[in-house]
Amino acid sequence: MNKLQNMTVAMILSGLLMAVGNVIGYQVDWYSSLLGVLVIIVIGLIGMAVSQVPGLNKLPMVFWISIVAIIISLPNFPGSAWVIQITKKVQFLAVTTPILAYAGLSLGKDIELFKKLSWKIVPVTLAVMTGTFLFAAIIAQFVLKWEGAI
Amino acid sequence: MDILRNWKIHLLVLIIVVMSENLGVIKYGLIILLPLLHALVLGGIISFPKFKILSTKQMEVAAGILPIAMMLLIVKIGLDIGPNLSLLFHSKGALLLQEIGHFFGTVILGLPIAVFLRMGRESIGATYSVAREPNIAIIAEKFGLDSPEGRGVMATYICGTLVGAVWLSILTGVVAKLGILHPYALAMGSGVGSGSMMAASVGSIIAAYPDMEQQIRAYAGAANLMSTILGIYVSLFFSLPLATKLYNFLSKFQSDKETAKEKA
Repeated sequence: MNKLQNMTVAMILSGLLMAVGNVIGYQVDWYSSLLGVLVIIVIGLIGMAVSQVPGLNKLPMVFWISIVAIIISLPNFPGSAWVIQITKKVQFLAVTTPILAYAGLSLGKDIELFKKLSWKIVPVTLAVMTGTFLFAAIIAQFVLKWEGAI
Repeated sequence: MDILRNWKIHLLVLIIVVMSENLGVIKYGLIILLPLLHALVLGGIISFPKFKILSTKQMEVAAGILPIAMMLLIVKIGLDIGPNLSLLFHSKGALLLQEIGHFFGTVILGLPIAVFLRMGRESIGATYSVAREPNIAIIAEKFGLDSPEGRGVMATYICGTLVGAVWLSILTGVVAKLGILHPYALAMGSGVGSGSMMAASVGSIIAAYPDMEQQIRAYAGAANLMSTILGIYVSLFFSLPLATKLYNFLSKFQSDKETAKEKA
């Protein structure tokens, strides 16, 4: 139970930081920013609760939180227009900044490990990342054209 | 509540967010530097062990909050999928097939380079996937983490943690600016199966095509969801055997060439 409590606190905390970034970076007012973040947090918590249900907990939490957010945003879902309008005020980039700040602050612990690696891993890793992005995008381009979506 | 007790980390994040958002989007020709990238780099500098600002314990707390904060990003992206469901349904073939690119792209581009650099069997673990946590688990189970394959997957994991998001943010920005690939295709490419890498990559596409923001996020989110669900199975049953076969083939060719050189 303690783990879920910690997660709830961490979600609220990072949500507040997102609201700060949203006000500073994108000139959205405090009220809209906090309300938007609050709605996002509530959806996150619902997803978290769903992922704890016995049987459903076989799939990762990321999956359940995605599904809950998708269902709530479906045009036929009651109140979906309100949810979308409120959460739209929270800019995508404002959501990403605190996340990558936490990521950055954790990097230091990996530097010692990194030093033990051969330099060879750097070009290989860059190729791996490039490969996954580029090949998926190229295949998508052809199939989207073929499907007439673009 | 050890999360609240580590107030120093949250205070640092607050300072980093304020600084990064104030800096805003910076453009150098084809390269777009986003606030999220400033935040990653600033955080990385602060956590540099030499500066002794953070203890390893505190860095671990930061690493622990990361996936939880990521859930809010997952919500934000999920909320774009519902309104665009008919658009996504119209592109279901592309969404399915692009996963082939995600899973084999790592091997096709990475493995020949790893073999060329003579990384040995480490090449297999290093290039069969993007080496995020589920991929490490697969290698740990099949080979053990102290095997060559295990060292390879850990090497890509560590290096990817340090450079993955930065690299994808810049690479995606450049490819987007070239204008050869449609933003929807780029968005699907962004769903690599790692939240922070997807965020960095999507941010660059949105910066280049701001008027299609919602659809871009819907495509990226759907692609990332597929990587999350299908990822474990495809990398276990397809990518790993392919990497192993291709490694055996390429390394044989390499040693043949060497013996030929020795004979000559």
